[in-house]
Amino acid sequence: MAETCRQFLADCGINPERLALEWASAAEAPRFVELITGYVNSIKEKGEIGSAEGEADSETIKRRLAAAVKAAEARKPRIALGNLAKRLHKEGDFSKEAIEKGVSSKILPALRAERIKEELLMLLAQGPMDMKELSKALWADEGEIEKPLSQLVKKGVIEEKDGKYSLADK
Amino acid sequence: MAQQNVVKKESEMAQEGFEPRILGFFCHWCCYAAADSAGVSRYQYPPNVRVIRVMCTGRIDARFILEAFRCGADGVFTGG
Amino acid sequence: MCTMYCPRPVVDTYNERLDITRAPHIDYAQAIPSSYYIDAKACLRVNYETCNLCAQTCTAGAIDFSQQPKELELKVGAVVLTPGFGRVDDEVLERFGYGRFPDVLTAFEFERLTCASGPTEGHIVRPSDNQVPKKIAFLQCIGSRDETCGNGYCSSVCCMYAVKEASVAKEHEPDLDISIFFMDVRTMGKGFDEARKRAQEKYGINVIRARVPRVDQVDGKLALTWTTGDGEHHSDLFDMVVLSVGLESPEDAETIARVTDIELNHYNFCRTSVDSPLLSSRGGVLVAGAFQGPKDIPESVTQASGAAAIASELLADARNSQTVTVTYPDEDKALEEEEPRIGVFVCHCGVNIAGVVDVKAVRDYAGTLPGVVLYEDTLYSCSQDALKSIAEKIKENRLNRVVISACSPRTHEPLFQETLRSIGLNPALVEMANIRDQCAWVHAQEPDKATEKAKDLVRMAVAKARLLTPLDQPTVDVTPSALVIGGGAAGMSAALSIADQGYKVVLVERSKELGGNLKRLKWTLDGQDASKVLKDMIKKVKAHKNIQVFTGSQVESVSGYVGNFTSALSRQGKTEMINHGVIVLATGGREYKPKGYAYGDSTRIVTQLELEEKLARGRGFLRNARNVVMIQCVGSRGDDMQHCSRLCCIQAVKNALKLKELKPELNIYIFYRDMRTYGFYEDLYREARKQGVKFIRYTLDRKPEVIKQSRGIKVRAFDELIGEDLEIPASLVVLSAGIAPGENEELSKIIKAPLTSEGFFLEAHAKLRPVEVAVDGVYLCGLAHGPKSLEESVAQAKAAAAKATIPLAKGKVAVAPIVSKVDQDKCIGCGICESLCPFNAIVLEKVGKRKKAKTITASCKGCGVCASHCPTIAISMGGFTDEAIMAQIHAFSPEGCEEA
Repeated sequence: MAETCRQFLADCGINPERLALEWASAAEAPRFVELITGYVNSIKEKGEIGSAEGEADSETIKRRLAAAVKAAEARKPRIALGNLAKRLHKEGDFSKEAIEKGVSSKILPALRAERIKEELLMLLAQGPMDMKELSKALWADEGEIEKPLSQLVKKGVIEEKDGKYSLADK
Repeated sequence: MAQQNVVKKESEMAQEGFEPRILGFFCHWCCYAAADSAGVSRYQYPPNVRVIRVMCTGRIDARFILEAFRCGADGVFTGG
Repeated sequence: MCTMYCPRPVVDTYNERLDITRAPHIDYAQAIPSSYYIDAKACLRVNYETCNLCAQTCTAGAIDFSQQPKELELKVGAVVLTPGFGRVDDEVLERFGYGRFPDVLTAFEFERLTCASGPTEGHIVRPSDNQVPKKIAFLQCIGSRDETCGNGYCSSVCCMYAVKEASVAKEHEPDLDISIFFMDVRTMGKGFDEARKRAQEKYGINVIRARVPRVDQVDGKLALTWTTGDGEHHSDLFDMVVLSVGLESPEDAETIARVTDIELNHYNFCRTSVDSPLLSSRGGVLVAGAFQGPKDIPESVTQASGAAAIASELLADARNSQTVTVTYPDEDKALEEEEPRIGVFVCHCGVNIAGVVDVKAVRDYAGTLPGVVLYEDTLYSCSQDALKSIAEKIKENRLNRVVISACSPRTHEPLFQETLRSIGLNPALVEMANIRDQCAWVHAQEPDKATEKAKDLVRMAVAKARLLTPLDQPTVDVTPSALVIGGGAAGMSAALSIADQGYKVVLVERSKELGGNLKRLKWTLDGQDASKVLKDMIKKVKAHKNIQVFTGSQVESVSGYVGNFTSALSRQGKTEMINHGVIVLATGGREYKPKGYAYGDSTRIVTQLELEEKLARGRGFLRNARNVVMIQCVGSRGDDMQHCSRLCCIQAVKNALKLKELKPELNIYIFYRDMRTYGFYEDLYREARKQGVKFIRYTLDRKPEVIKQSRGIKVRAFDELIGEDLEIPASLVVLSAGIAPGENEELSKIIKAPLTSEGFFLEAHAKLRPVEVAVDGVYLCGLAHGPKSLEESVAQAKAAAAKATIPLAKGKVAVAPIVSKVDQDKCIGCGICESLCPFNAIVLEKVGKRKKAKTITASCKGCGVCASHCPTIAISMGGFTDEAIMAQIHAFSPEGCEEA
């Protein structure tokens, strides 16, 4: 789960180190204090969300995360997550490598696809855009956008006119 | 050299003034208990974290974390 | 407050005199009860009738100096002695420089130094100069295995605690150079050898097998000299020396013995016997823990539960004769269903919260939050009168949700839940905001920010409270009987205890007769006739009206959950179904079958158990015998299996002594790696040496060889002391074959009880829950758990019986309402939740044509891993629903955060 979030956050343009997963047992108050202090300081260094190196601007982040939450709700990525957890559990292999590989090959692509689809709709709700603009706003290749775009066009959710896409009138 | 130092100092000052908003998801049995125990011992730590108690870190759904960031968290700390 | 204002400093004995505290104090943060107490010896008020400052400053009025000692007379059915262990005399420690050289510490003191909440906050520093030491030596067997101080026994725990302390020290200070001086490395506990190996390999801790006779100080450093097994002399300087002090009998052992009229053994510990390790010499007086003999935490905890079982056996008739039942008014369902009417109570907790957080500001802020109809502050919310007043206010204002903004729900939520119940509200309708333990106390220097945080926490709690729903308080009836799997000593002991406590038992044994490994034993470790012990046990089991024995039977399947299991037993091709409330796993282990050592090539190369079987048939085979060679660790400790089999060393020494008794002129050689004759069995080891049994150490890379020749057998081995190979013509070779796990895999799958990497069953917690399994209602004892002696198996069996009877005695299993619930309309039957649930609390059932998940509420612990991994978000968690958590997240943002 944590690894999924980390990779997905990076995909959304957020420094994945903003998410911490640490362990402190009930008897380890000093360790807890050390961890939490260290963590707060590391976030102080990174600054406000959207201001650390390589991060998207805050407006983009807001939109993208709204899409991301929807993506994390969608069945496909959730099945991928569940199945990976099930497999690792069965094999008893919880090594960092196995988890990273599993997430990047199975879960992230599903999440990213959903995120792009949702974000696409959000962008177009604000006004028509062409392929180039979409690609830039979504942090995705045109090739990657084409598939969801054409599906949405097929479904009649989106219209294309002179290379510009917009939401179809209901 | 001198100029670099000045630049560095300024950025440090900016960081000092910045108080991040952090959301914590703490496991009832472990991290939440450790945090209570830190209180009993009167250890001091920065006041930036707001805690949501869960019965286990296994409860934490990816949606919770993404939503926390969307709601303006500068960081999310999950503690098992 | 009391500690703060007390003018009287006292030495902090909890921290091994390394720190100073005040007359009123608490030993450590997690102490139970978690309240402060006054050291009467130091208190000025108690001794001189002056001061009284603490009583005046205690805002809760909890200090009352008018109390007088009272003598109570109690009528009881059993007495359990658990006084723990005593300390080795300082005189013994002084021989090693303790008290003379500041940098010689006891291991107890060192333990406090490594403790993060100890006097140095976990920094390891030398007392002489407060500098971090570079080189540390641990000296073992201080006050143990030492007849000169009267302690001939082994303290059993020091080897492991030294390894642990050294490892912890290395984690703190990776550059430390640590050497531990052992006579033998006795890390025989479950998983201990593995930890010892890790200490050597990962942390680079040096293991030196030598006894250091004394400690000298040279130029501010500590000088040690020692002689190793090859006869070489060494010396070196260290910055710190830690004395691994043994466990003594308690200082007042003789007084305890006099008062309770029990016998002590020759070391002043409580005298017990191998077949009833928890009984003192006086009926009804039981013993547990280190007073019975030096032992580690898991064995102490186990014995304590075991003693509880025996006490319950004695008190079986009196069970439930003094219980009080609490009644509650009916829930006001109509009120609960109304729109949320939230009351927020903000607690001052005296000055604990109000001294930092602006309580009134938080209270007023709470009033601005949606749904809040009442907001008040209270001085001590948890006091009796405050609870009463809260209850009244809830009623007056027809509140249906309550937020208590005070301390931790971990400690106080049950109290407020009880308050709600007492006035007809569902206990799940209260939420707490922890503004003390996780706010006021930890941000004492930043009152503004703490107040800000308290407001946020209250806002989040109110947001959650709006979405709280009443939860059922389900209870499940329990079938009052047990299934005990395995009819060896452990299984029979457990069955007898449960039956004696008044519950039905089905005892299943795979083979044709009861007895297990005990059948093959000739003598117990304390020299009793093993067959007699066994016969007595079998007689009792067969005669017991509450026990039904199924021999030649196997468990085919187990379904259900704690309180309501149904199992299929197969006997001679027939299957019988039985219902039972709990399961005790006592499936035993088996003697390892040696590989190599020419085992099987000659009738004169046998295992220890085979030797005992031979002896049981007569001593004829010893007629022409001259030399007997025993080889230890056959199969154990990395030879084939990784674990130490714990009792082969004692068994070998026991058998060597028996052979000597039968034929004193025999030459007996024992090749060993570390002699692990722990506890009082050290006496046997010493006796064997006295009688001329020769002990020769070997290492895994130079194992002894057994060579079968046309005429006789020869053993060739390297002798470290003379630096040469020895060749011994042997009339008999006895291999100390270790203890291998039984065939546990299948049962492990049936019950879903996990196994260790070595194939033994895994307990729920190595130290605190040593006889429970992660699956509720399943308990564990005997060799199924790991190698152990008969004595330890019996104690553990009693402990398992004690734990197993808890649900049986309650008659109902109460389920915390925080369990998961599956919306079967949304469920797609993918089975992800079923496979991830750590407690087997989710099953797939057929609903119509499709499979659907279903929670077994009695087994669910509310961890929520099912909910967070459900593809269709069909699972919700009681008290921690997605909606509630999302509402908390939205409320986390001060401006509020709209749903996307």
